[in-house]
Amino acid sequence: MNPTRRDLLAWSGGAIAGLILTPVPWKLLGDSAKWTQNWPWIPQPARGPVEVKQTACALCAKGCGIRVRMAAGAPVGLAGAATHPVSDGALCPLAFGAHQLNWHPQRLRQVLHRGHPASWQDAVAAFRKAVAEGPVAVVDGRPGRAASAVLEAFAKQHGSYHAVATREEQSLAPYAEWSGVPTAALGYDFANVSTLVSFGAPLLDGWGTPGSFARRWSRRQVRLIQIEPELSRTAACAWRWVAIRPGSDAALAAGIARTMPLEAAAQQSGLTPDAIEELTRTIVAEGPVLAMSADAQPAVAALNLALGGSVVQRREYAAPRVPLAGSHRGILIDSTVPWEYEPQASGEVFRFAAWSGGGSHADWLLPAPGFLEELTDVPSAPASAIATYALAAPLMKPGHPVSSAVEFVGASIEEAIRARCERISRDGAGRLYRPGEREPVALAGLKLEEELMAGAVWVDNPKNTKIVRCKLKNWPSEVGRSEARRSWTANWAPPVLPPLAAKLFQESNLRERPEGSLV
Amino acid sequence: MIPRRYGMVIDLDLCTGCGACMIACAAENNVPPPQPRATDRTGITPMRVQPVSNGATGADRREAFIPLLCMQCQHETPCVSVCPQQAVEVDRATGIVTQMPQRCLGCRYCMAACPYHARYFNWWDPQWPPGMEKTLNPGVAVRMRGVVEKCNLCHARLHAAEDKAAAEKKAAIDPADYVPACVESCPTQAITFGDLANAGSAVAQASRSRESFRLLEKLGSEPKVYYRSERAWVRELAERPARAPEVKRG
Repeated sequence: MNPTRRDLLAWSGGAIAGLILTPVPWKLLGDSAKWTQNWPWIPQPARGPVEVKQTACALCAKGCGIRVRMAAGAPVGLAGAATHPVSDGALCPLAFGAHQLNWHPQRLRQVLHRGHPASWQDAVAAFRKAVAEGPVAVVDGRPGRAASAVLEAFAKQHGSYHAVATREEQSLAPYAEWSGVPTAALGYDFANVSTLVSFGAPLLDGWGTPGSFARRWSRRQVRLIQIEPELSRTAACAWRWVAIRPGSDAALAAGIARTMPLEAAAQQSGLTPDAIEELTRTIVAEGPVLAMSADAQPAVAALNLALGGSVVQRREYAAPRVPLAGSHRGILIDSTVPWEYEPQASGEVFRFAAWSGGGSHADWLLPAPGFLEELTDVPSAPASAIATYALAAPLMKPGHPVSSAVEFVGASIEEAIRARCERISRDGAGRLYRPGEREPVALAGLKLEEELMAGAVWVDNPKNTKIVRCKLKNWPSEVGRSEARRSWTANWAPPVLPPLAAKLFQESNLRERPEGSLV
Repeated sequence: MIPRRYGMVIDLDLCTGCGACMIACAAENNVPPPQPRATDRTGITPMRVQPVSNGATGADRREAFIPLLCMQCQHETPCVSVCPQQAVEVDRATGIVTQMPQRCLGCRYCMAACPYHARYFNWWDPQWPPGMEKTLNPGVAVRMRGVVEKCNLCHARLHAAEDKAAAEKKAAIDPADYVPACVESCPTQAITFGDLANAGSAVAQASRSRESFRLLEKLGSEPKVYYRSERAWVRELAERPARAPEVKRG
């Protein structure tokens, strides 16, 4: 057969028509596109029933309300609980990536004895020996919990109990000294303040619960006057920023209160006498006024009292904040204690932690339950105006053997929590805020523990909060300890950050990388 | 049915620069943790909060924070007009500028065309530490290396809201069911989100306020992301030529 030119044209035409009309090349193109998007090393989201649960965040002492979206048994997203009486739907930035923490590469999965793998039996035997030889000190990072009561009871039997104060509580220390009320029961009542004079307190950058002050500020219900040497985030957002010389807080407070000559206060603070006078007039123009500082600053506390401001005392189980010192046979450190805490005392250290921050001097590092992995209770946030109580329910199981400090000393957290719930129910005061409901309900006839496990929050009767009376005869002469500017992660208890937090400082210019943080 | 035009008004006087929106956005949209080599140019931040200042020093200095995301341009959308793959389009029903990673060939024309630098390229395979893939949002597919991505106003949440409306036999979604992650996460409620085509909605009213403005409005691309500030120097930034941001990374 000799193909003619006509045949060649017919075949070519047929081939072109076939190529256009056949679905094969298009199918291959589509399949190859899908194939290139489904490499075996690209993870696929797990499929499974999706449910939303409300509970409390237990990563720091504030206990914000969170809505956890669970899929196939794992948390896949967090959001603030809209009607939560403590956090009012707001969360800190780190919380939004917190559900990934349990798989963080720095997760402590193995008992370590001086850096070497050991067994739980070894750790228990070593602790029992320490208890037998005694005394044993227990350090608690979040006093006021049911677990704290258990640990305190154990410590009093076998040694001593010590608690670490949060930064919010430190600013209340002068009032505790003048009133005799423990720091742990003191708080600021932001709801009844029109002008807030902040001496360096990072009120819009991690101070207190995000919902406590930030929401009120965002509704423009309060004038924020930020007195600070640097233009911090809070100063940038404040109604007014007053730049002063570093370390001159006490002098300016005394100048505003007129217990120091204006000229002297002006000289120290770097302002003019006229500026201090004008600042004073501005402050008192719209009351009620509250003056507060970032750290324990007696002059600012005294200024607050002079301006008619106050602090309140809430009804609270208040363990004294006794720092650890001296010599002990064993030192048990709870997982709520910040990683950077180093005991200023000698003894064999048993340290619980869910994540390892590296560089620890602890003799024993003991894996603790991670985020959403244990039942714990969340009492009032530090420096809050009213007593609250919530539970953080265990929503998932840890993938390796863990223990809490309470279990380690042979006690049961469930019993302690039940006892506390019964005490609140018996007392009958306060109201219960259920998830998604704006209006609280009375406690009568409710099974409190079950309600709290389902995400409800108990809030005390406001009548049980009272204004603290301070006995201050002379203007405080001592200058408060003003610590260096702390990192924006200062309240974050785990030594590691959620990996997505790197968006803020590695993949953008928003924030400085926190020193010593592990991402 | 009247086409919707989803957009938002961001109150810059309420933005404290906390970054919650950035992390919530990344978690919602299955953005992987950054590679060690990732920078502010090569990382993926569909929502990015940019600190800005009035340029003064000392006590006269003032700062603000501008959340930057896809501006959802309605008119002659620059990224749509340059895409050779038709991987980008403005959804007629919602006004959302959608990006289809399956069609994207990674030429990055759209990144060059976007006047807001709101598009990001996947330079690396998406990877999570072992086990962490369990936390992936099941409503969002993981994007592969070699494609461009951007904010799509949490499209998965819109789909979920539409599914819910369909199941309840409703013609339209309940606005409360469709809230993007950044809006939901903002602790100061600085972002108002909704349908700009609905003149009575809170977002439409806020967009018409005297203090509201849009970035690079003179380009005529009709962005649907509005900003609001009572501070004149912040409003003036909107028309200023872009400068390379000061790189300050740890």
